[in-house]
Amino acid sequence: MKQDSGEIVLEVRDVGFRYPDGSVGLDRCSLALRRGSRTVVLGPNGAGKTTLFLHCNGLLRPGGGQVLFEGLPLDYGRRGLRELRSRVGLVFQNPDSQLFSATVREDVSFGPVNLGLERQAVRERVEEALESVGMTECADKPVHNLSYGQKKRVCIAGVLAMRPRVMILDEPTAGLDLRMQHELMEVLQRLHAEGMTILMATHDLDLAYAWADEACLIDNGRVVGKFSADEFPHKAGMLERHGLAVPQVARLYPLLVARGVFPPGAPAPRSCAELARMLEPDELAGALCR
Amino acid sequence: MMMLERYAYANRWRRVSPAAKGLFALCGLTAVFAAGSPRVACCLAAVLAAVTLAGTGVSLKNYLRVAAPALGFLATSAATLLFSLRLDGPAGPALHLVPSELPQVAFACTRSLGGLTAMLFLALTTPMNDIVALLRRLKTPETLLDIMTLCYRTIFVFSEAVHDMRTAQAARLGYATPGRALRSLGALAANLTLQVWQRSQSLHQAALARNNDGPLRFLEPEYPRARASLATAALSGASLIALAMVST
Repeated sequence: MKQDSGEIVLEVRDVGFRYPDGSVGLDRCSLALRRGSRTVVLGPNGAGKTTLFLHCNGLLRPGGGQVLFEGLPLDYGRRGLRELRSRVGLVFQNPDSQLFSATVREDVSFGPVNLGLERQAVRERVEEALESVGMTECADKPVHNLSYGQKKRVCIAGVLAMRPRVMILDEPTAGLDLRMQHELMEVLQRLHAEGMTILMATHDLDLAYAWADEACLIDNGRVVGKFSADEFPHKAGMLERHGLAVPQVARLYPLLVARGVFPPGAPAPRSCAELARMLEPDELAGALCR
Repeated sequence: MMMLERYAYANRWRRVSPAAKGLFALCGLTAVFAAGSPRVACCLAAVLAAVTLAGTGVSLKNYLRVAAPALGFLATSAATLLFSLRLDGPAGPALHLVPSELPQVAFACTRSLGGLTAMLFLALTTPMNDIVALLRRLKTPETLLDIMTLCYRTIFVFSEAVHDMRTAQAARLGYATPGRALRSLGALAANLTLQVWQRSQSLHQAALARNNDGPLRFLEPEYPRARASLATAALSGASLIALAMVST
């Protein structure tokens, strides 16, 4: 389902928020998501990423500014929130904070049941969501017997079963080993190919560069930089000022161009694996992949 | 607890309708309480245990391990009923057996034993989520079911948290002396309380994010041949009750 890639689906406009203890959650924070885009939110711990996500799902209400979904300000009434939360899915960082049913299938059914769907429709959505994340075989397993990575996938299935248009993931790869990270990213890749708009927070700059279309840097509750992911190599100063590093491949590739390994102006690789493929059959490939 | 849990999810009768299993357990309980003598109650307990062993595929050794805490509790209760403390004896305060209480104690204990085997039948064949779904169909108050669902899930989350905290404390000699152990235990309890609070907030937000604004409802599993299972359970349960009524 091809959609207009220029259309803004979700927008946070000058949103401010203070927690009850007086600490600043967001400070005139602005962000717009294009339909079908993949956006990463970067920033140090406590920067306001989770607070921003909670606003996008209507779990927090802005102290100032507004949040718009498909061009309209959010309706914080019961019906409005119900509508919003079925369109904008939020996957929490800690799966144990999100999963509260005994078995996988039950937990995934929680959202669709809350939408008031018929039993058969719920069943279809649950099976489809489990299939999407490759968890069909674990459907009858108790949640507490799953690995951390499997729990994360069940969390995604739980949100997918509500068939949202936008999926927000709070540090989905945190705590996952490399293989689980790859499996999870494959799931996200598939969802994006199906037209899903995805917003993801991560501390993994290499992953952000490899995956995203757009990046947003947030610190002290304020968006301090928005740029296309292609621009990562040129944002070293900005990233380092906010305690972040430049993706490895973005640091390495210009050096290789400077040494004449690659011609200037060619499309830059987004990951070490991509760079290795470009270097093949050079012996450097194996070393770079490691 | 974990062994019970393991068998509940992986036993031969896992896919049998929970309603049928619940009905059979209820009939078992009724039969045990209808039993006219300790001997009959004992026989019924043996039958219920045999059915459980056959249906679940649990070995006798593991069955006894699962039953051990409850059996220990039963033994302690029986001892307190059988013995009485005499303060005015010639050699000072002493425990002595009360033979006149023996028939009543035997009856109470064998009935309790029968009740235990009936409950174990249900617990070893039926996972908690199936029991909650069954209770929901029986119109149990939603609040109670929500508490059951959340408690059941959080038992595992917090047992993991307690294990991690305790390990971290032990790694820094938190349990090296009785005094330190006491302090560590206090710190663990305090930290856990805080975690419970934070976790409950997170769960609430997660429920709201998935459009929940009332009872925690899920898709209920379906069971093949549920009616046939229910009929079998009713028939065998009624036989147990009849056996209890006619035997003395």
